[in-house]
Amino acid sequence: MRYKVLTVDDSKTVRIIVRKAFKPYDCDIIEAGNGVEGLAVAAKETPSLILLDVTMPVMDGVEMLTKLKSDPALKGIPVIMLTAEGGREHVLKIAKIGVRDYLVKPFKEEVLIEKCGRVLDLKPIAEAPAKARSIFDPADILIVEDKPAIIQQIQEGLRHTPWKIKGVGTQAEVLGHCVHTTPDLILVSLSLPEEAAFTLFRHIRTGIKTKYTPVFGLVVKTELGQQQQAQTVGFSAIITKPIDMAELETKIAKAMNLDTSLRYYSMEGDVMVMTLPENCAPAVLAEVGAYLKPKFAEAVDSGYNKVVLDVHHVKALHMGIIKLLFQAMQTCRELAIQSALVGHAQIVSECKSFEDTRGWTFHDSLEDAKASFGRSSPQLAAVS
Amino acid sequence: MPSTVEITESLIRDYINRAVTDVFKTMLGRVPTFSSPADWVAGEPPKPVGPVHRPQVVGTVGFIGEVNGLIYLHLDLDFARLCTRNLLGMTEAELDEAGDEVINDAIGELTNMTVGSFKNGLCDSGYPCMLTIPSILRGTNFSIEPTSSVVRHVYHFDCEEHRVVADILMKPSE
Repeated sequence: MRYKVLTVDDSKTVRIIVRKAFKPYDCDIIEAGNGVEGLAVAAKETPSLILLDVTMPVMDGVEMLTKLKSDPALKGIPVIMLTAEGGREHVLKIAKIGVRDYLVKPFKEEVLIEKCGRVLDLKPIAEAPAKARSIFDPADILIVEDKPAIIQQIQEGLRHTPWKIKGVGTQAEVLGHCVHTTPDLILVSLSLPEEAAFTLFRHIRTGIKTKYTPVFGLVVKTELGQQQQAQTVGFSAIITKPIDMAELETKIAKAMNLDTSLRYYSMEGDVMVMTLPENCAPAVLAEVGAYLKPKFAEAVDSGYNKVVLDVHHVKALHMGIIKLLFQAMQTCRELAIQSALVGHAQIVSECKSFEDTRGWTFHDSLEDAKASFGRSSPQLAAVS
Repeated sequence: MPSTVEITESLIRDYINRAVTDVFKTMLGRVPTFSSPADWVAGEPPKPVGPVHRPQVVGTVGFIGEVNGLIYLHLDLDFARLCTRNLLGMTEAELDEAGDEVINDAIGELTNMTVGSFKNGLCDSGYPCMLTIPSILRGTNFSIEPTSSVVRHVYHFDCEEHRVVADILMKPSE
């Protein structure tokens, strides 16, 4: 259900600013120009929150608030005062009638949203129609670490990605950064002084823009107490030092829900190519395997029925790779897809030493494999 | 009730400086600098902002209670338009389409915030008072004369190439 926020202010300017501030969030703004209109709209629309000015013609905000709080049907609606009336006595008087918060003009839109976010679970809305982000799309990653060497190590290790990685050393810098840019993911060192990582985590989770941002804890492998504490409070993942960059990259991609299939699957003309990388760690094979059926099915659905299984980057064969290749060939058979293998001499030689793979035929290059589809029967016949 | 402090010219200057700076910085991202009106004669109305033939937009809001007065905020039309665009995130063309009413409302609100901030200082100094509804004056080469005896203070603020004048009229305490 979309929230409804009622802004009651005689100034059209303020109502426009409020509407502008809430534009990125999933809620409707309704307006009234004085207390009488405000009460009528509140009764009709039952808003989730009312933003109320004090000085207005016809009926002022104090009178409207008093009437609202004496109406059993409306008194439960939370009210935040948004007014230039900010004298201490005045604020105390209004607070006694019953308001959730009090924001004195002039105000920053971020502060308004932050205060409203304490009352409503505001969710940002996507500006464009939802599109799955891929591993090749840019993203902003913020590292909070007081050791510059670690920041540099991560920046170096992820240099091949399109991600913009910024390092900061203190909580204040994080909060300052988040005012202008909402990071897609935040890595926080759990060893910051005075448990600052956990204080910062609470700030991030209560911030309206960052409450859904994945937060990773960075910690030395042996610091089990800190790891447990981070898991208990809800850190999205724990990355242990020394950092395994491949593992970090995989976890970041998963936390940001990135489509990583483009790393392994591509269309070359009318042929789908599945490419295994040099490092075929179990996590990588699991990732490739997870996309296998949907990607092959997608190719068939688009009218293509040829697949090249390219293992020429792989340094040495092992059972995990062989199992994945069998799975790929099996899927090709089920979908009636022709397949061909590409690999270098060492892979070919290693395949000869296994009973099940002895009959596999490899091509030297992608071009050869693609050309083979025109002149030979499917590779599948050899391995079935 | 807080203990009252005497309302001196220095207190007024301090409160209006804080109010104008806070409002322009928070709402417009512009930092005005206080400048003494060298050519202002005590008790006289302020000179027009910019060339005399340029249209002026003047927002006014009063405060009534233990202390009573009015503040006029003078801007020339170009700056009033710029402030409105900044405040509402509008382009020049959008502002042309929206018309003068939007400019009046925006300057009225900036004045309301400025006077609110000024008078909140007075409230916290022991002079509780409330704001009145804003109003706008527009014209060219005009001056504002109070009808009864008031204490008048005029302060200038430079904001990049523009100037804002705060004209404060306060009734002497009885």
